[in-house]
Amino acid sequence: MFEPFTDMVPSFFGWLNQGPLTLTIFLHTVIILPMFWIYAQEKKRLENEK
Amino acid sequence: MANKSVWSDNRFWQRSATWITGFASILLIWLTFDTSAQISMGTDEDIQNGVKKKVPGATVINYRITYEMDAKRGHEVPVIGGKEKFFGRDDWSEEEAAAMLHLGKLGSQAKNCMDCHTLLGNGAYYAPDLTKAWLDPAWGPDGSMQAMTGKSTKEEAIAEFLQHPDQYPTHARMMPNLNITEKEAIGLVAFLKHMSSIDTNGFPRNFGKIKGAINGK
Amino acid sequence: MANNHLTSESKQLATWYLTFAAILFGAQLLFGLVAAIQYIVPGFLYGILDFSIARILHINALVVWMVFAMFGSVYWLLPDETGIETIGIKAGKLVYWIFVAAIVVVVLVYLFIQIGPASDATIWFITEGREYIEAPRWADLGIVVVALTFVANLFLTGIKGKQTGIVTVLMADMIAFAGLYLAGMFFTDNISVDQYWWWWVIHLWVEATWEVFVGAIAAYGLITMIGAHRKVVEMWLWIEVAMLFGSGILGLGHHYFWIGTPEYWWEIGALFSALEPLPLVAMFVHVLYDWGKTQGAQDANGDKNSVITNKPAFTWFVLNAFGNFLGAGIWGFFHTLPQVNLYTHGTQFTSAHGHLAFFGAYATILVGVMYLAVQGKNGIKVMKNTKTSIWAVSMISGGVMGMTVSLTIAGYVQVLVSRAQMGATWAGYFDGQNGLWFTQAMDWRLILGIVTFIGFLLLAKDLLTTGKDPVHER
Repeated sequence: MFEPFTDMVPSFFGWLNQGPLTLTIFLHTVIILPMFWIYAQEKKRLENEK
Repeated sequence: MANKSVWSDNRFWQRSATWITGFASILLIWLTFDTSAQISMGTDEDIQNGVKKKVPGATVINYRITYEMDAKRGHEVPVIGGKEKFFGRDDWSEEEAAAMLHLGKLGSQAKNCMDCHTLLGNGAYYAPDLTKAWLDPAWGPDGSMQAMTGKSTKEEAIAEFLQHPDQYPTHARMMPNLNITEKEAIGLVAFLKHMSSIDTNGFPRNFGKIKGAINGK
Repeated sequence: MANNHLTSESKQLATWYLTFAAILFGAQLLFGLVAAIQYIVPGFLYGILDFSIARILHINALVVWMVFAMFGSVYWLLPDETGIETIGIKAGKLVYWIFVAAIVVVVLVYLFIQIGPASDATIWFITEGREYIEAPRWADLGIVVVALTFVANLFLTGIKGKQTGIVTVLMADMIAFAGLYLAGMFFTDNISVDQYWWWWVIHLWVEATWEVFVGAIAAYGLITMIGAHRKVVEMWLWIEVAMLFGSGILGLGHHYFWIGTPEYWWEIGALFSALEPLPLVAMFVHVLYDWGKTQGAQDANGDKNSVITNKPAFTWFVLNAFGNFLGAGIWGFFHTLPQVNLYTHGTQFTSAHGHLAFFGAYATILVGVMYLAVQGKNGIKVMKNTKTSIWAVSMISGGVMGMTVSLTIAGYVQVLVSRAQMGATWAGYFDGQNGLWFTQAMDWRLILGIVTFIGFLLLAKDLLTTGKDPVHER
């Protein structure tokens, strides 16, 4: 299932780099996801203020 | 009336900005640790045992370096081959080689090399890239540059050129005399040879592979 | 000083910083011309002021004038934003003179000593030989002291006074800006490690912290010049910070494709840096949107006057919004993907991008702040464009754009001939350099460089004289 490393040395990031875009999609996702949580919190706050 | 949208709320954006900046910074620091471990300089032992390092140890100057296509990685990589004499010796100790490399790296900065040349592609664009200069056919046994200096080996030819660049005009755009001493020149050649052994993920592509380029016009 | 309308010490100090910045801007252009001539007449000043030295002065003057103007901008806006006089202004003035003196010494050493033997002493006292941050180690330490004093002033004032969104962003940004300089202050034999950290300084300055600084200054400019609503502007600012740092910090990876670093940087660098133009588009939209919005609101009230209280400064700010997007965004994206960068890395392509990005993203807005300072210093209520100011901005922006196009064409020749066709060797390099398209592009670059320089002379004249011009409303 997993591709062999294209990099010379195995590493966590090398392992995530499975093929086109896997590593970068992962990183973008972990950066964006918590914003949903921030969004929900702020929405609640605005509702309470009202 | 509808609720005020979170999208037009300053606090939401401030918190998002803080989170994104903080997390991106943490990722960068993590990546830096990972990369630093991978680009630390190798040792003489690594070379002898065939352990591949992105940046080999200084004793790589005792070996022949070539630039060959790697089928798995899909681009060229430097290959460390058998022993090769460097200024008449192929048994430079780790200390000696490191000292030469140190002098060369210092010299590369003291003479502002990268304000005309590029090193690993970074620098100024007024003179050729030096990343794989050691492997340039022009300095090889049949190369015009080696012939011009009248020396019989690549390293001596480069060292001679570096000491008297204004005596060997290669182009209207001549390299100026930078008061490079013989010792510094040897160090710089070691620095160049070492740099050519760094695994640059295939940059520059096809280096030195095109025959006839020397008088290709 | 006679006829000086500035009551704030902080604003006085700002004018000092901005004045010295303008002088260095001139020096930058002058040495750029020398280097441009050397491409065409290689013997020009050969052995006296070689290309390497002209270029060091060209790019170091660039960095330093921008840092000066940035410090000046912050000292300018602090009293307005915080509502109090800047704290530690005496220290600020002292380090100003230390900074100026250090720069004069460094420039004289660059000019007359130029290089040294391969020894630590050279690194400490003559040059560090690392592009953009060649300044010798002693000067590095001096810059750290200067930067720390500046950051301390900003923090003390920001904490004591009113802490607006703009001040908060600037505080976070400027401490990162100063701290990052430390990453460029050590020596290592390993050139891969050397360049890894070198890019921390260069990239995280110009593609992260400086960009956020520009966002903050643009926000301040919109509030002061067209009366944009602070809440709207600051919301935009936070969005920009999120996008700029979100793409810019890991976008650093696009410098780690070929310097010996692992292959995973291809993906990180390509995809994060590909997003870097987005905030720049947003900034452009934001400036035009706020302009239209405030003007429209005023029109609706039956007032047909312009909302702009400083025409020349606003011209430069709008030029910044567009230039940042075009130079940093478009020209940067051109060659940020590794498939392309494999061939464009280390060619005039980079140089083309560098010229338009530094100009579009930074020079423009900082010149805008200079006009704001002229307005404030002369107590002008509504500042208008003069013939000179219009000629200056047209010639400078036209000149830089023309140089950029020329260098892009030269870059194409290098990519196709030297790289793709000839495989990047010494001989291949010169085959590309001798190509007709390359040499003609270099001629055009020089001509347009001269246009830019004449534009600068007009700009200097305008900045010096427009304050007394009776056309402005006082």
